[in-house]
Amino acid sequence: MGILGLSKLIADMAPLAIRESEIKNFFGRKVAIDASMCLYQFLIAVRSEGAQLATVNGDPTSHLMGMFYRTIRLLDNGIKPVYVFDGKPPDLKAGELAKRAERREEAEKALKLATDAGDEAEIEKFNRRLVRVTKEHSNEAKQLLKLMGVPYVDAPCEAEAQCAALVKAGKVYATATEDMDALTFGSCKLLRYLTYSEARKMPVKEFSYDKVLQGLELTSKEFIDLCILMGCDYCDSIKGVGPKRAIELIKSYRDIETILENIDTSKYTVPENWNYKRARELFVEPEVTDASDIDLKWTAPDEDGLVQFLCGDRQFNEERVRNGAKKLLKSKQAQTQVRLDSFFKTMPSTPNANASAAAKRKAEESKKSANNKKAKTSGGSGAARGRRPK
Amino acid sequence: MFEARLGQATTLKKILDAIKDLLNEGTFDCSDSGIQLQAMDNSHVSLVSLTLRSDGFDKFRCDRNLSMGMNLGSMAKILKCANNEDNVTMKAQDNADTVTIMFESANQEKVSDYEMKLMNLDQEHLGIPETEYSCVVRMPAIEFARICRDLAQFSESVVICCTKEGVKFSASGDVGTANIKLAQTGSVDKEEEAVIIDMQEPVTLTFACRYLNAFTKATPLSTQVQLSMCADVPLVVEYAIKDLGHIRYYLAPKIEDNET
Repeated sequence: MGILGLSKLIADMAPLAIRESEIKNFFGRKVAIDASMCLYQFLIAVRSEGAQLATVNGDPTSHLMGMFYRTIRLLDNGIKPVYVFDGKPPDLKAGELAKRAERREEAEKALKLATDAGDEAEIEKFNRRLVRVTKEHSNEAKQLLKLMGVPYVDAPCEAEAQCAALVKAGKVYATATEDMDALTFGSCKLLRYLTYSEARKMPVKEFSYDKVLQGLELTSKEFIDLCILMGCDYCDSIKGVGPKRAIELIKSYRDIETILENIDTSKYTVPENWNYKRARELFVEPEVTDASDIDLKWTAPDEDGLVQFLCGDRQFNEERVRNGAKKLLKSKQAQTQVRLDSFFKTMPSTPNANASAAAKRKAEESKKSANNKKAKTSGGSGAARGRRPK
Repeated sequence: MFEARLGQATTLKKILDAIKDLLNEGTFDCSDSGIQLQAMDNSHVSLVSLTLRSDGFDKFRCDRNLSMGMNLGSMAKILKCANNEDNVTMKAQDNADTVTIMFESANQEKVSDYEMKLMNLDQEHLGIPETEYSCVVRMPAIEFARICRDLAQFSESVVICCTKEGVKFSASGDVGTANIKLAQTGSVDKEEEAVIIDMQEPVTLTFACRYLNAFTKATPLSTQVQLSMCADVPLVVEYAIKDLGHIRYYLAPKIEDNET
């Protein structure tokens, strides 16, 4: 689920770490995508008249529809995706998962109530909350990717961590995700909104890890501690410490141990048996497959295979599938445009730009919130993205 | 204090027209030697490098080095307000956050000034290495613009092949193929109409038409254009700006993707 409020904090304190650009500027880039999150989003979002798309037997096919067209769109833009599937969740996530299970139960109860009352809108709302990605969905998606000639990786544990490992090893350019924890795992580049449908017309946000650290004036170790303080999936956080407080604490004490020695316990309650050390280990040395052992290959699509797989029982339109396959094939044949960065070296940028850009952004923000009450247009976006239960 | 004055606004207009399609914004770095601008387009495929020498201006004064980040679209809008024959003066204080652009009519009867906000741009400067190019082609700028426009109808990319005999531009797509060959001019009567090829080694490179066509927006600045090519390095397209400097465009080539 990510780190609470991290993207807003970065936007405030290290604005230079974020760059917005159009999707077409990412041509030729390879990106790692957290597949499980995608599937979850599709199962929720891809619907017709409120119901999931389904086979003749009623098994959902929304995830396949989404996967098929999103992948085509990426390849059409010259972006080469590699999907990473979650493995088993780490033990530390049990707490977070229990919370999610609790929420599901609540939703289930609420759904019952709504069904009894016959409230259509409520039924739909809670139905969506009950969506979960099963092994079956993942396997179908993998089969589809194989037919499309797109590589995928099975992560031993968290997909985000594996994505970050692929980026660090230089196998791919960036992690494309809506979860900010890819940065905590040390993914050099993180792309947000890359996977969004074109209809939204949102620019892609590119976060650069080194510039985040530079802007926040932290080392990578301190950054991990900051994320733990702000609230991650793996352990509780100190009550009363939000993003602002967290960065202040880290800047004055430099690590959680020292913070604990100095914090005013009458004001803040530190969780009992706080397991921040394990969480930190998880971020520093996550369980991942060594990226150098992973060979990524994009191959030609199997058009007839796709038709066989998607049409028939799964009720996809054959003509559209064939068109999609043609697009896939076409994207393979194009020559690759090289970037100037690979010929010319970048010289250091102006140092004072960071501070003034931050000041400017703040000024704009305060103006905005003064003008209308719906502030926080920049950092949030939480409402739009699906949470992922497991 | 920075002040630069040009006799004719039309030159500055043409310069802005030559860069504003590729770049949304850019930083003018001013020093006592002149004004420089270097910036990549958003996709990092092409780069614009503009040099205006101080001795080319009617009046030039720059006490301290100054970087002025500008929205080039806004700048072009302001320049639209000038008549071609107007005098144009750019002025800024040290550490200012605005720049003043003033137009004076030739008879001094009308003076208009425009103030524009500057931007603080974090732009990556690129170090461009000295390169020995294996082929340097000089040709009429209008001819080059025409070729790029024509070939863009056939394909997204154009192949430029330069040999001792001449230079060939070709494109192939769904419609068919197109080839345009230019031979080296035998006897040079009019220098601006000549095609001159200086070749050490033959070169064949592929480039995206989209960018080449954006470069040709500089055609009104110069009668001749110079293409410098070398295997596996970016193409340089240079337009001289008479008595003032030059504008250079760098473009990364397209390569065969043999990895997948």
